[in-house]
Order: sequence, then C-alpha cells, then structure tokens
Amino acid sequence: MAPSPFLDPGPTSTSNTLALLHLKRDLLVPTVLSSAPPTSADDYAEGKVTNTRFGSFPHSTLLNQPWGTQILASKVDTGSRGSKTKKRKRDGGDTPRCIEEDGEEFKGGKNQTAVTARSGFVHLIPPTPEAWTLSLPHRTQVVYTPDYSYILQRLRARPGDCIIEAGAGSGSFTHAAARAVFNGYPDEEPSISTIEPAQNGTTAPTPKRKKRYGKVYSYEFHAPRAQQLASELRGHGLASIVRVTNRDVYNDGFCLPPLQTSSFSTEAPSTLTPQADCIFLDLPAPWLALKHLTRSALSPSTLHSLSSPSTPSPNPTSNLTTQTPPTPSTFQSPLNPAQPTRLCTFSPCIEQVQRTISTLRHLSWHEIDMVEILHKRLDVRRERVGLAEEGLRGANASAATVEEAVHRLREVDGRAKLFHELQMEAKGEDVEEKEGGEGKKEEGSLRGKSKFKVEAEAARLSKQRRLESIKAKAEERPLFKEGRLLHRTEPELKTHTSYLVFAVLPRAWTKEDEERCQKTWGRGVKDS
Amino acid sequence: MHSYIRPNTYIALRLPSGTLKVLEIIPNTTISIGKFGAFPSNLLLGRPYYLTFELLDKDEGRATTELRVVPASELHAESFAEDHATPAESRDEPAEGGGEFDIVGEDGELIMRSNRLTVDDPSRQKLSMDEIEELKKAGTGSGKEIIAKIMASHMAIDEKTPFSLAKYTLRKSKKYLRRFTALPMDVSLLSQYILEKEAHRVMELREEMLGLIGSWANVHCAASSRVVSSPDGRGMIGGGRWLVVDDTGGMVVAALAERMGILYPEETLDDGDEDLEQEQGQHQVPEDPTKERKLSSGQDGPGQSAAADTGTDVMMVDAPSPEPPQLLSETLQSDRSNPPNRRSDNTAPSSPPKLPSPELPGRASDGSAKETTDHTHQKSRQPRPIKPQMSALTNTLTVIHSNAQPNLGLLKYFSFDATSPVPTHPLYTNLKTLSWLQLLHPSEDASSIEPEVVPDSVLATWKSGKRGTYYRKRRRWERTSRVVKETRAGGFDGLVVASYMEPAAILRACVPLLRGAAMVVVYSPTVEPLVELSDFHSKERRVAYLARQNNGIENGKNGKRNVEEGAENNEEDGGEADSDFPVNPTLLLAPMLQTARARRWQVLPGRTHPMMTSRGGAEGYLFTATRVLPVEGKVEARGRFRAGKKRKVASDATAST
Ligand SMILES: C[S@@+](CC[C@H](N)C(=O)[O-])C[C@H]1O[C@@H](n2cnc3c(N)ncnc32)[C@H](O)[C@@H]1O
Repeated sequence: MAPSPFLDPGPTSTSNTLALLHLKRDLLVPTVLSSAPPTSADDYAEGKVTNTRFGSFPHSTLLNQPWGTQILASKVDTGSRGSKTKKRKRDGGDTPRCIEEDGEEFKGGKNQTAVTARSGFVHLIPPTPEAWTLSLPHRTQVVYTPDYSYILQRLRARPGDCIIEAGAGSGSFTHAAARAVFNGYPDEEPSISTIEPAQNGTTAPTPKRKKRYGKVYSYEFHAPRAQQLASELRGHGLASIVRVTNRDVYNDGFCLPPLQTSSFSTEAPSTLTPQADCIFLDLPAPWLALKHLTRSALSPSTLHSLSSPSTPSPNPTSNLTTQTPPTPSTFQSPLNPAQPTRLCTFSPCIEQVQRTISTLRHLSWHEIDMVEILHKRLDVRRERVGLAEEGLRGANASAATVEEAVHRLREVDGRAKLFHELQMEAKGEDVEEKEGGEGKKEEGSLRGKSKFKVEAEAARLSKQRRLESIKAKAEERPLFKEGRLLHRTEPELKTHTSYLVFAVLPRAWTKEDEERCQKTWGRGVKDS
Repeated sequence: MHSYIRPNTYIALRLPSGTLKVLEIIPNTTISIGKFGAFPSNLLLGRPYYLTFELLDKDEGRATTELRVVPASELHAESFAEDHATPAESRDEPAEGGGEFDIVGEDGELIMRSNRLTVDDPSRQKLSMDEIEELKKAGTGSGKEIIAKIMASHMAIDEKTPFSLAKYTLRKSKKYLRRFTALPMDVSLLSQYILEKEAHRVMELREEMLGLIGSWANVHCAASSRVVSSPDGRGMIGGGRWLVVDDTGGMVVAALAERMGILYPEETLDDGDEDLEQEQGQHQVPEDPTKERKLSSGQDGPGQSAAADTGTDVMMVDAPSPEPPQLLSETLQSDRSNPPNRRSDNTAPSSPPKLPSPELPGRASDGSAKETTDHTHQKSRQPRPIKPQMSALTNTLTVIHSNAQPNLGLLKYFSFDATSPVPTHPLYTNLKTLSWLQLLHPSEDASSIEPEVVPDSVLATWKSGKRGTYYRKRRRWERTSRVVKETRAGGFDGLVVASYMEPAAILRACVPLLRGAAMVVVYSPTVEPLVELSDFHSKERRVAYLARQNNGIENGKNGKRNVEEGAENNEEDGGEADSDFPVNPTLLLAPMLQTARARRWQVLPGRTHPMMTSRGGAEGYLFTATRVLPVEGKVEARGRFRAGKKRKVASDATAST
C-alpha cells in the first residue's frame, strides 16, 4: 500500500495522489493528480487540467515535480471559461467563494477559440493537516489549526495512541489526529478500509508487547458526511489509520461491531473496544456522550444523578439512554484500561460547558480544566509617511516631521501670497480698464484674468510635475526598506471559536490492585 | 506509557497550592512534601497517575504512614455542594501561595468564602493581621481552635450560620494541605513546571506554542518514511528528518521528539494489571535505562543499600550475573563510542544527595558515566554489536548547536542525557547533534580529523584501556563525520528554530538544507525579531530581490543556481550577507506570523468566569513558512519555453503569497 501523502509525500508528486496548488496565503486548491490522457474530444488536449485564477495547470506539468516547485501556468484552451480564469484580486479575501471558482475541470468548453491564459503560477504543495484544513470541502464548522494543535498537545495524543473523535464533521480534526497518533500502517487486508488491527489481543500478557498502532475512531451520525469522510480518507491513504463509523454516539456509545472477515470469524468478540487513550468530542451535547465513556458500567443511581435536576436535559434523546442502560454483563469500556484517558470537549457556549463539567464531575473525572484559545495572526508592513510620498500608493503623504510641516506651510503661504497678489493685480487692471475707454475694458479684463489663469495653471502643472518626479524617484528608491516597520493584527479576527474542556480519567484502582501493589513494593523504608 | 508510576523515573507531585514538585522516584527512599510530611516512595510506586493522595500520618493513631486515595467525589465536593447554591461572590485567590482559606462544613458544604476574610471592609473584618498569620499556620496545627477563634470574632458568620462551631473546618487545614496529585512527567507538564520556575531557560515557551510548533512543522512519527537521494545524487530528500536550533535547553527537542514517538524509552509490558505484576517480577532485562543509570550512580546512596531487602530491580541489576544483561554490554559499547564525559571530572559526584533533586542537572548521569567507564576497564567483554549512536536514517532530529556541546539538559526528565546517552533510549540513534562550525566549516573542526588507523596486529599488543580509547576516538570521528555529511546533504523535512541568535542568519544557513515544501517554524518570545524576519520576506523585498537577480543574470554574473544553495555555497555567499537581502526571500512561501494564548476559566456552579490573573511576560510568537523551489532563471526565460516544457515565466512574480 502506498504511504499516505499526508505522512510521507515522497520527493516528487505522483499520479492519483492528493496535491495542493498554493495560490496565495489561505488559498489552496486541492486536486488529485492524474496522468490519464484525454479520452474524448471534450477533454483538454493536455489531459486533466486544473484551472485557477492564476492560470491553467495541465496535470502533465504538475506530475513528477519535486514538492514545493513553483509551477508556471500553461496556455490552455479553456473555451468559454476563459473569462473566468482571469485574475480576480478583489474577491481575494473570500476563501470559500474562491475555491468554487478555482476548481479543476476535465471537460473543456465546446468553444475551440484559443484564449491565451495569462501568465501566473502556483506552488505545488503536498497535503498536510494544516493545508487540508484550509482547503477541505466544508460540510460543517471545522476545528482550525490553533485549536486542534492545542487540543492534541493537551490530550497528549502520541504515536501509537488510540483516539476517539465525535462528530467527525468535515474531518479537519480527523486529519490532525491521524498525524498525531500515526506510528505505522497496521497490517491488514488492503481491500477493506476500516478493519481493526489485532488490538484485542494486547491485553494478553506477552513477554514483549505487540506493537500497538495508533488509530483514530471517528463517529458521525450524519450518514452522507460519514460516507464522504470515509471516502476522502481512503483517497488520502489514511483508511487504515482512521475508522469512520456512522452512529449516534449519544445513544449507542463507542464500542464497535467487529469487522467480519473470514480470517477471524468465530473468535471475534461480540464488541470491539477502541481502547481509547484520548477522546475529542465536538458535539452539540457532549455530556450526553459521557455516560458511554466510563471504565465500568454505571450504577442506576449514577445514571439517575446524571439526569437529575442539577443537570437537566431538555434534549429528548437523553430519555432514550435510560431505556438502554448498559447492563453489567455486556458492558465493555471503550477506554484503554491500562492508561489514564484524556478528554477534550469543544463547545461554543458556556451553558454547554457547564453541563459538560457538571457531568464530568459526577462521573469522577479528574483534572477538569476549561480554557479558550485566543489566536491571532499578525500582518507586518512598512508604513511610509512624508511629503515625498505624495501620490504614491500605500503611503501616507502627510508631513512626517514638524520641519516638513513648517516647510510646507511656508511654501503654501508663499504661494497664497503670490496668488493673492496676482488676484489684486488682476483686479487693479480691471479698475484701470474701467477708468479707461469702454473698448479697452473687455480686452484688459481678459488680459488680467488670463494672467491669473496662467499662474493657476502653472501651479497645477508644478503639482503634476512634482508628482511625476516623486513617482520617478520612487522607482529608484528602495521602498522595501523605507518607512517604519510595523505589525498589527490581521483585519479579521476570530475572537471566539469554542470553549475547550479538558479532563482526565485515571485508571481504575481497586482494593485488590492496591493490595497487590503493596505486596510488590512493600514499604521500602522503615518509618523513622 | 504512563500507565503507572515506575521506579527511577521523574514524576511530579502537585501540592494543594498548585506548586509542582518534580522528583525522580527511587524505590526505598522517602519523599518529602515539605512541611506537610514525608512518606516512603514505595507507597507511590506501581500506583496509577492522576490520583490525589492524602498523607495519613502515623502519629495520628496509625501504626505507619499511609496514603489514602482521595476519591473524585471528595475532590468535587465543593462544586457538588454549590450545584444548588445561589451565585455567590467570586474572587480569584491571590496568586501567591494560594493563601485562600475557605470555610466548609464537614459535609463539604461551603460556609464562607475566603474573600470574606480578606475583603477590605474593615467592619466585617475583626481578625487582626496576627490572627490571620496564625490562621495560615493552621495548616500545621489541628486548626480547630483557630477556627473557633475566627468564628467568635467574625460577626458575619455568627449572623449567618446556625451550625455549631465544631462542624467547621478550614478547607486548607492540615488534612487538606496534606493532599497531593501524582502526575506523569511529559512535555506539557515539564513546560508548565519550567515556565513557573525558570521561564527564561525555555525562552518563556508556553504549552500553546509547543502545540503550534509541532503542527506547523508537520512533525510526526516518520519511522516508515522514505528517504531518497536527490536527483543530482549529492543530497538526500525526506525520511522524516527535522533540523532544529534549540536554545530552550531541550524543551523544543523534547516536544518534537514526543510527537515523533522517540522521547520515551521503550517499555515492554505496558498493559494491564497482569503485566504490572509480570514486569515487577521480571527484572533481569531492565528496559528502562534510568534503572541502569541509577544503579551505577548511587551505589553508596542510602536508597540503594536499602534496596537489598526488597528485591527490586535495583538490586537485581547490581548483583553479579553470569550472563551480563544486554543493556550492560550496550552501555559499554556506548561508552566506547562516546567521548569521555568531560563534566564528570569537575562536578565531583562523590556524595550523591540523599534525595533525588532535579535541580542538579546531569548529576546522576555524570556519576554513571564514570562508573560504567570503570566497568569498561575492569571487564573485557566483547560488546554486542548494536546500532551506533546517531545512526537512524528516518524519524530523526538534527540539532545544530552554538557551543561545543548541545544544551539539551531538560531531556534528563525523559531519561536521556545527551552527553552520555544510553543506547536503549530512542534518542540515542534518532537524535543527532552537530555544531555550527561542523556544519558550515567542517574542515576547521578538530573532530573532523580522522584518527590514525592502527592495524589489528598492533592493537593486539595494546592494553585494553588504550585500545578502548582508540576505538572510542574512531567511533566518535565516524559518527561526527557521518552526521556532518548527512546534514550537509540536506533534504530535511522541516526546520524548527527557538533561538536567541538572529533568525535571518539561521535561516540563511538552514533553509537551503530543506527539501521543497518543508516547513519552517521560528519561535520567538517577543515579536520584534520575527517582525524583522517577516519584513525580510516581504513582497516588496522579494520584487526588489528578483529585479536585482535579473539584472545580475543580464550582466552575466550570478549565473549559478539560486535554488538549492547548499551550506557549501552559503559559506561563500553567507559571509557577505547582503544587508538589503539577509535571506533569499524567494525560498519561502506564505510567511505568516502568529501568536496564541490559552485563557483559563473557572467553572463552578454560579461562579463561572475567566481567571482574573495569569502569567505575564513574553507572549510568544511563531513565524511559519514553506520552503519552495522557485523557477530558475526567472525573467530571462520570460515568455519562452524551456526544455520542451510548456513553461512560461510569470509576470506577476509576486502574486502568489
Ligand atoms: C462541528 S461538527 C465537527 C467538526 C469536526 N470536528 C471537524 O473538525 O471537521 C459536529 C458534527 O457532529 C455530528 N453529530 C452531532 N450529534 C452527533 C451524535 N449524536 N453522534 C454522532 N455525531 C453527531 C454532526 O453531524 C456534525 O457533523
């Protein structure tokens, strides 16, 4: 099985793998590279082509290139779509819309009129969870990099761990989680995408522990979403690392039916437990899922206390739970019994947090902690201020210093004086002319006015000249290092994503465990 | 991995004040939790993490000191009690020392919140300062009388409570103060611990940043990744190799290693209670290198001598065995391939402290290095062939350091000492280190000089000690030259920098060593260095750089490839770093500057709000970018097709970031 391009993209791009065309910051176009030749007259002569606002990219130019290569746009007959591929700077900020427009096209237009694609380029980037998060088809709200980074850090999701994730949504968190727990591809029948590694056997004492493969157990009750995610993951080479289950976790919990394969038919247990080390719940009502995340069957009284007035639950689905309480005989914990289990829930509202935490306390979770992540990106730019910036783009043409201001005031003052004098002169001539003959009047007035006009025109011309000379000078100026270097928060700031609740459930520790431990370790030192 | 508390590993105890006490837990020793008491380490060994224990003293009518597991229901008692309570006034406790004294009923019900006692309404406060001091001391006494006193003197409570005084206890009475929670030593905890204690040592690196660094550097377990040679055959590409510049004492390396699955010594038998028993009965093969270390370092320590009567692993390894445990021979091997530990000569580990103290970096290992070296001289066993140090091909970290030795002291919390590593630790093979001199000017480095090869016939006549030294020198040279060669071959999957050095200078030397699409992540506690670095990659500067480059091409100079400038080229070019272009701005795509901070909340019934104070100091910033391979010969090729490919140079050369 080929390694996932997310985990090991190899040195160059290859066909049938996901690649991202980086157009600009936050704008990446995902495409599955294809070397298939055109099969019909409708196809591009170049085979598969991805069209972007920065030009058209036949996959023949994208394939077998070192990752990170700058790829130049090609002249492709984009037919009637030609007008659409023009660079559209103005809607640069609106990512989702752009993605709709920057898409791949197999079929060319029927129009065979050649249209010259404008020059342009993209960078060819292998997929990473960060890049995927920015480019994935959004089906739900997703967890972005700042949040999932912190969550996975706090959950201590490490290579070899098993992590439960619900609901899977668009799979943003899923990809990051898969990267975190990945420690190899479990051996399995390659045709079946979601088969279990032989984890059931790990509890049997063996001299050297069998390697435990990291795995993501992903649950989503929306069937089309679950299906789409599963098929994406297959395409991404992550099928053996992520098992997607279409299921309502409030009602049905996290234990799974074993995958029926011919190889282990009779011995298969009735249920399969994810043996989770970490849990991430991005659900509207995480507290409703918590009753399934215990180490042992809940007593009826605990179950009752969870739905007691202190944690009222108007959600009708909560009633269903009492109808199917896990009976002790069939109970199987989805948690890894040998490890502390770490949990994170992700909820936008404080009321959800309060309910979740109250339930966590009743279910004896420890280390309960709530945080929110405040993340911001900074823009860095140089700000140029000064009279010398007049008419230049991206600069502030007001006076940079008091001296400059004074200088300018003097100049303006001088010009005003001159102007005034001219005006006076023109008037004076007028008067003169009035006193003169009737015939002369017209002429004189005209003369005076035109002189005034000439001066005004001169002033205008001088401004134009000044601007021109400023512009010419700017060409020579090293603008990239002029001005003051500043940073500010990016224009649009996410001020709230969700509240993150963390908790830890220690291993079960019984009297017998303690007794055995005391036997093993004794007291060691005598009490002094 | 942290399924239970293992002997001779670092653990943290969180005290009621919130303070973390980090210690190496050694069997048969006594652990003190300050003035609140002490208990035998064996009471904690083998127990699960995250439990809160209460110290039950033997003088309170008990035959021995005991630890009681405080059930979660008791830990949450206060909030349960308040589930029905009305919203109350809420203040964060003063940050210092957690001097909050809530008065709760014995059933856990909160009677009076501490802020009533410290509230600045003098009419309600009848306690004198002295009395408050006394109250604080109540932690060491029974507290009852003092509570009675408060009750008597505080009219508010008289007004309010129908309960008898006897029912009240101070929440932070002796009982409460004798609780602690046992936490596993992992990267998140260590970062918290160091940040509280000596933040400057880790460049004030917060946990938030560790997560972001790991994500943006795309660091993950890459043991199965492919490493291939570059098309020109001189370099290599990929394999999950990350380049690191770490001035955080190893915090960054630890965080990356944790994500790669190479931070924790591999443990056999980690599952289930059966395993727990089995492991403890089976000590012939100590899989935990720290055990070995401890054993040899502290032979005269009180803990070790006491080990004799319990039959724990410490004793077992100590005992002479007919067949040497594999680990021992590996250690011998490691010592041969290692330079002798320099510090062991001047740190005088003559009298190891009785209690393990994390404040003495390298103590134990220095001792161990010396001791095991002695073993080498005494026993002349043929070492078993094992993987040489720094020899892993994939899933590796390569640390470039400024001093003769890397400063990775914090790795000791994960049983790894970079100056005398144990071969069983994954970092032994997967962590590579080299100095800037070795990277940039390998020929000038003394360690690059090959020790003379001595023929076997001559070797046979040497004393074993001399022969050992000879082998050690050879191995050291082989290792250094291998790491230098490999690093200079480039093709790394990412670069992570947390350093006080000029970021631009580091990038100038390191970015050419990255494969295309590798991630570059630079951490800085303050924003200014990264603002500058971003400016060096600004669009305007890139345009100017390209213009200059094109002029150069037109004038016939600077004809050489700008892409793939190796460290080699850098030696020539890097010296005369252009002040206008400290870095080649076309090598990085989409530079981004960001910061993140977690804001903590208190969530209690009726009293939910963000914490009112938190740590100030450096905010912490991250610069990220992607290494790219720009098209060669930009403008010269404008509009032309090159090499039969439909390539055309973009006119909007800067449009894409
Ligand atoms: C906000 S989305 C999760 C987004 C996801 N974390 C990501 O990063 O892409 C929440 C998902 O939970 C699913 N969901 C809601 N209730 C569920 C339930 N009871 N069982 C399983 N999935 C559920 C919804 O269908 C939705 O897709």
